[in-house]
Amino acid sequence: MGAFDTLFQWAFLVPLFPLVGFVIVGFFGDRMKKAEYGGWVAVVLSGLAMFVGILIAIGEALSPGTYTDASYTWLNLPGTQSVFSNGFSLVMGTLVDPISALMLVVVNVVGFLVMLYSIAYMHHDQGLPRYYAELSLFLVAMNGLVLSDNLLEFFLFWELVGVCSYFLIGFYYEKPSAASAAKEAFLVTRVGDVLFLLGIFLYFATYATSGGGAGWAASGFKFTNGNTPFLGSLVGSASSPTLTIAGLMMLAGAAGKSAQFPLDVWLPDAMEGPTTVSALIHAATMVAAGVYLLVVVSLFLGFTADDRLAIVAVGGFTTIWAASMALVNTDIKRVVAYSTISQLGYMVLAVGAGFAMVGLYHLFTHAFFKALLFLAAGSVIHAVGTQDLLKMGGLRKSMRVTWIAFFVGAMSLSGIPPFAGFWSKDDVLASVYSQVGAHPLYWPFLLCAFATVFLTAYYIFRAWFLAFDGDGSRDASLPHAHEAPWAMRLPLIVLSGLALVAGLFAFVPSFANLLPGAGVPPTYGTTDLMLSATSVGLGFGGLGLAYLMWGNGRVFTLPADSPLQPFRTVLLRRYYVKDAYDWFGLKAVYGLSRAADFVDQYVIDGTVRGIERAFSQLSDAGRRLQTGVVSDYAAYVVSGLVGLLVFLLWIAPWLVRSVGGG
Amino acid sequence: MSGLVLAQFLGLSAALLGIGLFGILTRRNFILLLIAIEVAINAAVLNFVYFAGFASGPGGVSGQAAAVVVVGLAATEVAVGLAIVLALNRQRGSINVAEASTLRQ
Repeated sequence: MGAFDTLFQWAFLVPLFPLVGFVIVGFFGDRMKKAEYGGWVAVVLSGLAMFVGILIAIGEALSPGTYTDASYTWLNLPGTQSVFSNGFSLVMGTLVDPISALMLVVVNVVGFLVMLYSIAYMHHDQGLPRYYAELSLFLVAMNGLVLSDNLLEFFLFWELVGVCSYFLIGFYYEKPSAASAAKEAFLVTRVGDVLFLLGIFLYFATYATSGGGAGWAASGFKFTNGNTPFLGSLVGSASSPTLTIAGLMMLAGAAGKSAQFPLDVWLPDAMEGPTTVSALIHAATMVAAGVYLLVVVSLFLGFTADDRLAIVAVGGFTTIWAASMALVNTDIKRVVAYSTISQLGYMVLAVGAGFAMVGLYHLFTHAFFKALLFLAAGSVIHAVGTQDLLKMGGLRKSMRVTWIAFFVGAMSLSGIPPFAGFWSKDDVLASVYSQVGAHPLYWPFLLCAFATVFLTAYYIFRAWFLAFDGDGSRDASLPHAHEAPWAMRLPLIVLSGLALVAGLFAFVPSFANLLPGAGVPPTYGTTDLMLSATSVGLGFGGLGLAYLMWGNGRVFTLPADSPLQPFRTVLLRRYYVKDAYDWFGLKAVYGLSRAADFVDQYVIDGTVRGIERAFSQLSDAGRRLQTGVVSDYAAYVVSGLVGLLVFLLWIAPWLVRSVGGG
Repeated sequence: MSGLVLAQFLGLSAALLGIGLFGILTRRNFILLLIAIEVAINAAVLNFVYFAGFASGPGGVSGQAAAVVVVGLAATEVAVGLAIVLALNRQRGSINVAEASTLRQ
């Protein structure tokens, strides 16, 4: 019982504030005199949520290892049938624990700054009440997800953030590309969501009646028993095939949400939404929900060894997979989006290697520097009105703050000390390195992660040089750029500060309480220093290469006869994965649907309609017999009489004879 | 011996029934139709009487009683039939049964 107990019990306030904002802006925003008023309501309420969130984090940091569960039993089924022998409860509640407190800080700080930034950035757009209402609803869902005290509630909010992501990607819904990108994001993540739900079913099947955690599923999949967390005691080191498959389902759900290979295609296309949405949802928070799911499962339930290998494989491969596509892209937002996928790969890699807290550490720093990069890119787009890097140039003179902000974000992303990304990314690499003995397959994925450090530094500085270096815009038709208004500059400055120092937070003992687990804070032995030197060297190498090719306004064009051209095409075509999915959707699924339609129309409906037509014709014939003329009826009576006579006199005796009776 | 005589009587009945049925099937005039029905009914009445004559004991009496009842029934049936004829004639001005194919106009 600590001093912050009441505060932890009232954690539901954090999602409640944005919910109030959603209701006010969503239902009354249209009636306000100016659209910005609704925006200010949302900003103030998200600021309140941030305030409470930070208070909770401070409380949690000062009372290490406290788990506070406040739950309400929604439905309680008694145990009657064999499947439900332990009964079943549906509970809703909030669980304040170290990792959810940390996530509250990430979600609400970035959420508040993005809301503030939006006031200026979205100034010229139509439908602002809708924008702020949806953004507020997103904050409700994300805070709810972070605070969930059971897996089903987690899934509920998980779907809700997905819906908000769909709404916001499709914010410019009159643009066909935005509408289809929204659909794509929804459908691709849905593949993961369905598997995630199947995984929950598998956990239920395992834990409903028996198993090490008997009664866990029956109690509503809660992560804690009262205020005592399970902390991996459910799965532990058991290697049951069912649990392995359930763990893989969790990985699939996380891969859909966090855009990991092979469900990564939707995130670059999600850049059709406003840049602010990309910064909040598709960089800092929602896409991190997948990683958060893996962290939660690994912390409370545990993964089997096979699951961990699969997670390492997915994360490690995704780092280099996405980074390679960022090398050639010329859309400033898409470059940053690919880097998001790649960085999420690092977090997944760390969770897979058994260092969930290291993954969460990288999530924490990444949220700030990636939101910073997106908001800086948004500032550039706001100023020049294009996203094409090749048309920009020379912006450093007119946009000093954005120039420095993007530089800080890029340095942090490249893992150059002392920026935030360096500490967490190095921690990821060091923790995975410490586990390479666990399985021979860890090596190649660790090498992928190291190679990605080089690629990352190259592509992000390529973007930086292209946008800000040189004498002026390469496209003369671009407007003369001006620095952004204060509502955009302030978030950039705050996030730049965080991107500088967030990595050092882990060395503050009370803050490290929010990341309770192996690897945090990073330790620096001889091996670790060598690894750090390698990764920093790779980072500077990428930076240097980018300078040689793109610095000072140079634009490197690959010669048309270069043997590398086919690779460039493949990367620009995104390895043809999206084309394959489109082909699958258009040809394979459509063909199957056509076949099903044929069966439906001609076999099933045909049978029904055939029976109907037979009866219709039969009754038509019967109706024609009913002429209404007395003589006809008399004729039927007489023919019936004659028939009866014929039967009695000839047919019946013949039948009796032929069956041998009498 | 008596079987042969009965067969001859039944032949007469069958002939009457055949004549009656022929009339029922071919006549379009309602009154001729009624007469044909009477002929057919009387074939059945005759059968009652024959069998009553050949039967012994109380069965004979009941056969004759049945014959009287059927004659009475036939009379009432003709009365109803003639009433329909009158109604039909009043409504349509014709007593051709082929024309009266609907129950109401």
